[in-house]
Amino acid sequence: MERVIIVRYCEIHLKGKNRGYFERIFMNNLEKALTGIRHEIRRPSGRYIVEAFDPSRTEEIIARLCKVFGTHTLSVAYQVPADLEEIYRAVQLVAPQSGSFKVQANRADKRFPLHSMQINAEIGGRLLAERPALCVDVHVPQNTVYIDIRENGTALVFSELIKGAGGMPVGTSGRGMLLLSGGIDSPVAGHMIAKRGMKLDCIHFHSYPYTNMQAREKVTELARILAQYTGGLELHVIRVTHIQEAIHKNCPEEMMITLLRRFMMRIAEQLACRVGAQCIVTGESLGQVASQTVEGMTSSNAVVRSMPVLRPLVGFDKTEIIERSRAIGTFETSILPYEDCCTVFLPKHPLIRPELKKVEAAEDRLDVSALIEEAMASLETLSI
Amino acid sequence: MIYLDNAATTAPDSEAVSAAIKYLQEQFYNPSALYGAGFAVHQAMEEARKNLLAKIAPDGFEWIFTASGSEADNQALFSSARRGNLVTTEGEHAAVYRAAKELENRGIEVRFAKLRADGSVDSDDLISKLDAKTSLVSVIHVNNETGAINDIAQISSKVKAYRPNIAFHSDGVQAFGKIPVVLPRTIDLYSVSAHKIGGIRGVGGLIKRKSFSLHPLIFGGGQENGLRSGTENTFAIKQFEFAAAHKFASLEQDLKRVRVWNERVRQGLNPEIFEILSSEGASPYILSVTARGLRGEVLLHMLDDAGIQVGTGSACSSKNRYSRVMLACGLDECRADGVLRLSFSARQKDQEIEEALQAMNACAASLKERTR
Repeated sequence: MERVIIVRYCEIHLKGKNRGYFERIFMNNLEKALTGIRHEIRRPSGRYIVEAFDPSRTEEIIARLCKVFGTHTLSVAYQVPADLEEIYRAVQLVAPQSGSFKVQANRADKRFPLHSMQINAEIGGRLLAERPALCVDVHVPQNTVYIDIRENGTALVFSELIKGAGGMPVGTSGRGMLLLSGGIDSPVAGHMIAKRGMKLDCIHFHSYPYTNMQAREKVTELARILAQYTGGLELHVIRVTHIQEAIHKNCPEEMMITLLRRFMMRIAEQLACRVGAQCIVTGESLGQVASQTVEGMTSSNAVVRSMPVLRPLVGFDKTEIIERSRAIGTFETSILPYEDCCTVFLPKHPLIRPELKKVEAAEDRLDVSALIEEAMASLETLSI
Repeated sequence: MIYLDNAATTAPDSEAVSAAIKYLQEQFYNPSALYGAGFAVHQAMEEARKNLLAKIAPDGFEWIFTASGSEADNQALFSSARRGNLVTTEGEHAAVYRAAKELENRGIEVRFAKLRADGSVDSDDLISKLDAKTSLVSVIHVNNETGAINDIAQISSKVKAYRPNIAFHSDGVQAFGKIPVVLPRTIDLYSVSAHKIGGIRGVGGLIKRKSFSLHPLIFGGGQENGLRSGTENTFAIKQFEFAAAHKFASLEQDLKRVRVWNERVRQGLNPEIFEILSSEGASPYILSVTARGLRGEVLLHMLDDAGIQVGTGSACSSKNRYSRVMLACGLDECRADGVLRLSFSARQKDQEIEEALQAMNACAASLKERTR
């Protein structure tokens, strides 16, 4: 009797002729998530079976697999020869001692002598006789014992369905450049987009010496947490100190954020082109801060020429974002109190509704391409 | 690198490390052990205790080894402020301040005496806060941010004159081995730390007047007369003893050297940018300045890049952005934002101070220009 983990996927079955492609990528992502743990993964039809692992590491494996996008549910199962006595021994291990239950058999191997209903009745009957505190409820049982008779002469017995991360396998929906600050929102935005199958690169802007090393380490940590879901990612770090100084010197104070964001977008687009990413992803949420107005977005979108800017959080409340941030495990890191873009240059009254023409006029006072070139030269890339 | 953050920690005295290393290696024995080798370590430790105590206190005091200055402060407060109220100052190190806040949570009333602009306590305000229920007064000896020296002999005698049974504690971490101190009998408890004078981290001391009754903070095997359980760190203790011997031997001479540097920096900093916060009477080991309108941590990073390591009183952090002590000195946020703390070691060279001075002026001017 071997302990195995069944991984069921979602949505891939919708993909028709592309299914093989999706399945291969998903398989790779599962393998990547289990790096460092001895295991084997088989792919019988419609699911994956993780086996040949050390049973003492079951929980760790489950925790890692739960973060792989594309996973619908997981079950820890016993794999036994397709023999009624063997199956019952496994059922004894997974079945509850009390409460209501039902047995749900699925017979893929039609050579098995009993059909599904007969298996349900036989196993259910034996359990009832053995455990008097149990009762049967076939409509809304507290527990369900699943028996899956496979075509290869084995059966899988399990009782629990663990919810996976859902979504699509990372790598099946292209590649995006996420603007990763140290805040609460951007990691959540990254998580949402990665969940739809997009491979992520992250770009972080710092303004040392106005920001400190702790702030940068915090962003690296956020990227590490995101990477658990995305199967690794690249973190690109760019210094925008001189851009901020130039804006501060030459442009109206209230335009600092508006103009800085335009620079960030230009740099993100350039870098996206360089690494082969097809869109920019930001954590903006409509109206959350002064720069996140529709006018602010218009002004920053205006400099992005060749790709869409995705803002998955645009319609979310802060409380909803915080909830998601807690769920994915980035909240505690996000709230560490280090400033990301230093408030030395923060205007007292940032422009809420920037007019594109005025913004462009203000920007005319800057040597945009030289500033971008200098910022790009500060690029450091970390593989996480 | 030119290291000017010696109030944070000092480089360990390497001669003292060499002399004490045998207590980490061959003489590793537990000083409580009953065999000869253990007893020998015990004797060595008692010698360290006696020698360290002799630096600062006449007869009538005893020395309890702790693991840090913070632990000594905590033991002093939690032992003596058990009822009524505790009177302390707004200029305390976090080890006293946070311990006092914790006592407040546990139902002890805590009264904070005001500071003067230089960071020393307004002693009239402190005395006015005493009453029949005051159980403990704690006053820092040398303020760790401004270097301001509180005249603890005078303050403690005023406190004892008010009511002799009020316990008096002082945090002497920035004073021990740096300025001359002889503990008067009006002081009941005094905390010190090794790593501010060439000792290594992991050892401190709580000096206690002999007849004063102290409660342990850590219970266990009954070491340190039951006042501080835990197997003693005999290597750190011996290294502390040797480092202190060096430091005390040259105390007056060091003070003179450091005073010259302190004065040089005071005179040499660009007065259009920097304002000196430490008073003339402060410990010359600590010099606090503010660069008005600039942010201390940004300057710190620029100096770091220029090879100068200094401390700061502000941070690029949304929490604890300004130093509590600096605000208590009456600084507005603009000045509190620009605080830098230079703290010297007597082992520095004249040239280093000159270089640091030039770098400070250059970095501040550059930052002022960049953020104008």
